[in-house]
Amino acid sequence: MGTSVQITPLCGVYNENPLSYLVSIDGFNFLIDCGWNDHFDPSLLQPISRVASTIDAVLLSHPDTLHLGALPYAMKQFALSAPVFSTEPVYRLGLLTMYDQYLSRKQVSEFDLFTLDDIDSAFQNVTRLTYSQNHHLSGKGEGIVISPHVAGHLLGGTVWKITKDGEDVIYAVDFNHRKEKHLNGINQSSFVRPAVLITDAYNALNNQPYRRQKDKEFTDTIKKTLRADGKVLLPVDTAGRVLELIQILESCWVEENLNYPIFFLTYVASSTIDYVKSFLEWMSDSIAKSFEKTRDNAFLLKHVTLLVNKSELDNAPEGPKVVLASMASLEAGFSHDIFVEWATDAKNLVLFTERGQFGTLARMLQADPPPKAVKVTMSKRVPLVGEELIAYEEEQNRIKKEEALKASIIKEEESKASHGADDNTSDPMVIDASSTHPLPDGPHGVGYRDILIDGFVPSSTSVAPMFPFYENTSEWDDFGEVINPDDYVIKDEDMDQAAMHVGGDLDGKLDEGSASLMLDTKPSKVVSNELTVQVKSSLLYMDFEGRSDARSIKSILSHMAPLKLVLVHGTAEATEHLKQHCLKHVCPHVYAPQIEETIDVTSDLCAYKVQLSEKLMSNVLFKKLGDYEIAWVDAEVGKTENDSLSLQPISTAPPPHKSVLVGDLKMANFKQFLADNGVQVEFSGGALRCGEYVTLRKVGDASHKGGGSGTQQIVIEGPLCEEYYKIREYLYSQFYLL
Amino acid sequence: MASTGQPPSLKRRDSSVTREEDKLVVTPLGAGNEVGRSCVYMSYKGKTVLFDCGIHPAYSGMAALPYFDEIDPSTIDVLLITHFHLDHAASLPYFLEKTTFRGRVFMTYATKAIYKLLLTDYVKVSKVSVEDMLFDEQDINRSMDKIEVIDFHQTVEVNGIRFWCYTAGHVLGAAMFMVDIAGVRVLYTGDYSREEDRHLRAAETPQFSPDVCIIESTYGVQHHQPRHIREKRFTDVIHSTIAQGGRVLIPAFALGRAQELLLILDEYWSNHPELQNIPIYYASPLAKRCLSVYETYTLSMNDRIRNAKSNPFIFKYISPLKSIENFKDVGPSVVMASPSGLQSGLSRQLFDMWCSDKKNACVIPGYVVEGTLAKTIINEPKEVTLMNGLTAALNMQVHYISFSAHADSAQTSAFLEELGPPNIILVHGEANEMGRLKQKLVTQFADRSTKILTPRNCQSVEMYFNSQKMAKAIGKLAEKTPEVGEVVSGLLVKKGFSYQIMAPDDLHVFSQLSTANITQRITIPYHTAFSVIKQRLKQIYESVESSADEESGVPTVRVHDQVTVKHESDSHISLHWTSDPISDMVSDSIVALVLNINREVPKVVVESEDIKTEEENEKKTEKVIHALLVSLFGDVKFGENGKLVISVDGNVAQLDKQSGDVESENEGLKERVRTAFRRIQSAMKPIPLSAS
Repeated sequence: MGTSVQITPLCGVYNENPLSYLVSIDGFNFLIDCGWNDHFDPSLLQPISRVASTIDAVLLSHPDTLHLGALPYAMKQFALSAPVFSTEPVYRLGLLTMYDQYLSRKQVSEFDLFTLDDIDSAFQNVTRLTYSQNHHLSGKGEGIVISPHVAGHLLGGTVWKITKDGEDVIYAVDFNHRKEKHLNGINQSSFVRPAVLITDAYNALNNQPYRRQKDKEFTDTIKKTLRADGKVLLPVDTAGRVLELIQILESCWVEENLNYPIFFLTYVASSTIDYVKSFLEWMSDSIAKSFEKTRDNAFLLKHVTLLVNKSELDNAPEGPKVVLASMASLEAGFSHDIFVEWATDAKNLVLFTERGQFGTLARMLQADPPPKAVKVTMSKRVPLVGEELIAYEEEQNRIKKEEALKASIIKEEESKASHGADDNTSDPMVIDASSTHPLPDGPHGVGYRDILIDGFVPSSTSVAPMFPFYENTSEWDDFGEVINPDDYVIKDEDMDQAAMHVGGDLDGKLDEGSASLMLDTKPSKVVSNELTVQVKSSLLYMDFEGRSDARSIKSILSHMAPLKLVLVHGTAEATEHLKQHCLKHVCPHVYAPQIEETIDVTSDLCAYKVQLSEKLMSNVLFKKLGDYEIAWVDAEVGKTENDSLSLQPISTAPPPHKSVLVGDLKMANFKQFLADNGVQVEFSGGALRCGEYVTLRKVGDASHKGGGSGTQQIVIEGPLCEEYYKIREYLYSQFYLL
Repeated sequence: MASTGQPPSLKRRDSSVTREEDKLVVTPLGAGNEVGRSCVYMSYKGKTVLFDCGIHPAYSGMAALPYFDEIDPSTIDVLLITHFHLDHAASLPYFLEKTTFRGRVFMTYATKAIYKLLLTDYVKVSKVSVEDMLFDEQDINRSMDKIEVIDFHQTVEVNGIRFWCYTAGHVLGAAMFMVDIAGVRVLYTGDYSREEDRHLRAAETPQFSPDVCIIESTYGVQHHQPRHIREKRFTDVIHSTIAQGGRVLIPAFALGRAQELLLILDEYWSNHPELQNIPIYYASPLAKRCLSVYETYTLSMNDRIRNAKSNPFIFKYISPLKSIENFKDVGPSVVMASPSGLQSGLSRQLFDMWCSDKKNACVIPGYVVEGTLAKTIINEPKEVTLMNGLTAALNMQVHYISFSAHADSAQTSAFLEELGPPNIILVHGEANEMGRLKQKLVTQFADRSTKILTPRNCQSVEMYFNSQKMAKAIGKLAEKTPEVGEVVSGLLVKKGFSYQIMAPDDLHVFSQLSTANITQRITIPYHTAFSVIKQRLKQIYESVESSADEESGVPTVRVHDQVTVKHESDSHISLHWTSDPISDMVSDSIVALVLNINREVPKVVVESEDIKTEEENEKKTEKVIHALLVSLFGDVKFGENGKLVISVDGNVAQLDKQSGDVESENEGLKERVRTAFRRIQSAMKPIPLSAS
């Protein structure tokens, strides 16, 4: 029997919810993708929580929230501890995307679903693979080989191929077959006739114009607004499609020598571009090629300014400009704030490049006709003052005392502990403390410093159980300590400086500005007020999602020609549409399971292995056909020394068999072939008229690969004449007879 | 070389003998018992791979090339380049542009980017006459389009050759290639180092053990000092020389290891403020141009570099130096200049200037090739010959501190121990060093049947791998696993080196191939009664059934269930059948018959009795069989109880004509006689009806 394959969608079927699927192959459970959406609704993750402990490996396909957003939460809350596999860019950009999400949320709400530490630890045990790398699993998954392949859409985007015993299970969602400025499209030839194909129906009802035309329209629209003295806001994702937009804008600005400033504003903008610069191997051939030729890195941006906080944007001179700001849903983040500011001016343009997630502000604005006014919540983190501050401080003191007590107990217990142990225990303890005692107001990081300094004195053996920014080596001169007057100016930058080290501690390369937020030392709270924004600016949606459109998906699917097809992710309507289409044209086994419905797509294939004896092979004459060589064999089954089956030459006369014509006749090619051989030939009424009398027809379903009988039916008709035999001869020459 | 005898020509490619098919040939075309011009040829199962394509730095012109004459470049399927060093990559433009090579070339991204810069520079600085030039800049640019890139661990398949590469440590982008042909794996290490340094990762250990390991042996049985000791020696020598007011010359290859040395120097300078007024010059125009490559391909560097906050390759204390004209020799300085062998160029000019002053020092930081000045001065001769031909006293200090990131004896042993390959081929090592390493490895692997080989250039090493061909029977054919003795018939489909057996109906399911049915319909004018045809057909064919067409009701005759003859109208009939050789033949005979009827005047035909008896038939058959066998085997006699005795070259076979059984001592003859007899029989006997 073939390999057993079961698929259970955990999220994201018959709707546009995030993606998350359980694929079990011979008892080895893969969680493919672990997505969340911009609402961060934990109820969506219920199905994952039920199976989390049984998962053996996690595969991530794209570096965006929809594909990996729930990973930190699931790792923390559901005891999901399986190894994670992804490509290098998915790992890096995914991490940055999560940072950006967290920081944007934290700014406007008491976000407590996961912390930056949770993100870090979730991404800690990611095994990074390169495209087309065959990674052999060991242990429980012995015999399973996983390999990521180019998917397009986002940098590092992956089509996963899971192979066991020669059968392929392919997971291909959100792929793009088109080559883009910075990405290659999928290579269809790597996935031919998989046993199971899991794909999405997200774009099944959606067709796009050509890329070049689209790019032009895009830049033209932006230029028009700028020339009319307007500002353009592009709500974008953190590190995905925005890279393509940046490339389009950058090359347009270079070509036309434009001077309007472009800003890329996310909490992690500069690290994003830093990392992206070293990911050239993952990008399109043309980017790699131009780098080899000129050594100009395509992401060495000349016209785009990278910003990590909004005040820098506010300081920029007034006037027309383009701002790419996260998040695409306008639910939070910089894009939200900028939208509220700019929407009231009719000169401005808000240009959406992807469909907003369901139920978000972006989606609302993309409706046709767009709403005249929208209600938004403006939230802001403000420092505590007056009574609140006093209350807060009292609370802090109480916690501090508790901490001190706890710490002293622990210290007593481990007073004899060694260097390293001491170091290890004191550090996590502080963090635990803050998460077990959620503070009523303000971010959790507030108490750290005080606790550390006042709460207990670190043992002398401990290296430095504190954050590195205390190690300020002060310089002395004749007048005492060298001071920097700037140190005494109370400014926001002060915070940035201090927090810079913390950011470095977290990942080494996090932006300074954003780091200031995470460990804002001032007690603060979130103040929200609702207001109604009159939407006067123009709103526009252009599809730059970088996904294959309906027509291409259909042709790709019939090219891949899976034996079984599983459809996920997409509205009920789109899923149903694609299902019907595929049943007719692709393959007879199309499944579209409901959430938590387990379907068994074990191939009903039978197979056994035999050894081909030398004797048999020496008598086999292969005929070459493209990549294949085929021959007819008649053999007798025997046993080898180690008891496996072997095929020996047959001792008696071989039984006669029906002859087989192998080959794929393309009418158009054959027509050309005949014409080259001097036969008058033309198409008429679906048939090929060869010479004066003979007609040639192909009957039956044209897409023979999709189920059906699989055999082409060709009819040749004509009166008895020389020509008939000649054309038949030509026709035979297109096939191999076995 | 002469004693090894004539190496077998590699141009011959025959695979008729099965044994020949299992033979894996490895031939070093360069770097066999020498260092330089790495190029190793490998062939197995009709697939050929060439590893590396370098030049010998001590020679110039054609003499520097590997022995390409030994092979036919057009037969090579894949060429794999491990890293950008000249002795591994510099004959590539020549090989791509000036030979018949038509295969595909692969190297890593970083290698490709640096390859172009390096070779362009090489063409510019090499001072040879135009005739001696192996290639020019144009050739390099053209070669860039043909070079394909491969990422570490990425698996690529070309013509059934699967290969992927691992980090090798040696320089940025250096790779070790694993090639898999029909399940036999060969690992070619190129230059590798198992020690992590300031910017590179150590060579990985492959996940699978190879069957053959082609490994470098540059350092033979030498042991490297630990890295920090070497670094300390290096910085100490420089520091003390400068302190005495001397100058330090570091002849180094422009790229690769130079970056490591600069990282060391830059760090040392920033830690020693007292040195910061001493200039360090790095005399290479390439360095600046390669900077962006070093910035970009950080994924193949170690975590130190990847997580660094600022780019460590932007040096604080090191300034570039364009040429000797721009160099003001006023007091102590440190100059790193190429070439590393002091053959010519800036490093030689400086050497000539500084060699007689004993305050000065020359630090040779890596492996030096036999035949270069650098190699000579390591032995500290009293005098040296300058470029202008004069001799001068060699008074400057010469220090040899190796940073050249080749594996030493301990690393090689440990690496091979982990891999445990049954065959080890040593290349890229000077003969003596290689010999010593071989001895050491022989001792190390004494308890295992490991073969250790050290072929010279053009000397082929042959190994045999008994590959068992396994096929997978799938689909309808495999619905139940057959018992011993049962017959399996189906299509054997081969793709690359994997085999599948399947029923013809399943072909389109498991491969991209499809099958076709051709239905033929031919109309023939016919004016006579339809029954005449029927009558005549019955005389020839055993199975002739008449019926009427379901739709039109016209009378039809079906012959052998294959060909249908339809009486379409009074003036013509039509034939329908599905193409296959037998049906085509049947239909042809029907056509002939019908035409014959058309020609003849209708007449009454007497059904003649079948005159020939069975016996006569038999006799005739026997005679024909005998005659055919004679024509095939020559000596065929009638033996006892109806057996035929066939003797060929002293081997005798007895053939039982009834059963087709053959008895013979000689297996080969037995098989041949049996096959011949079977074919003759099928030619003689009527076609069986149960064709379908």
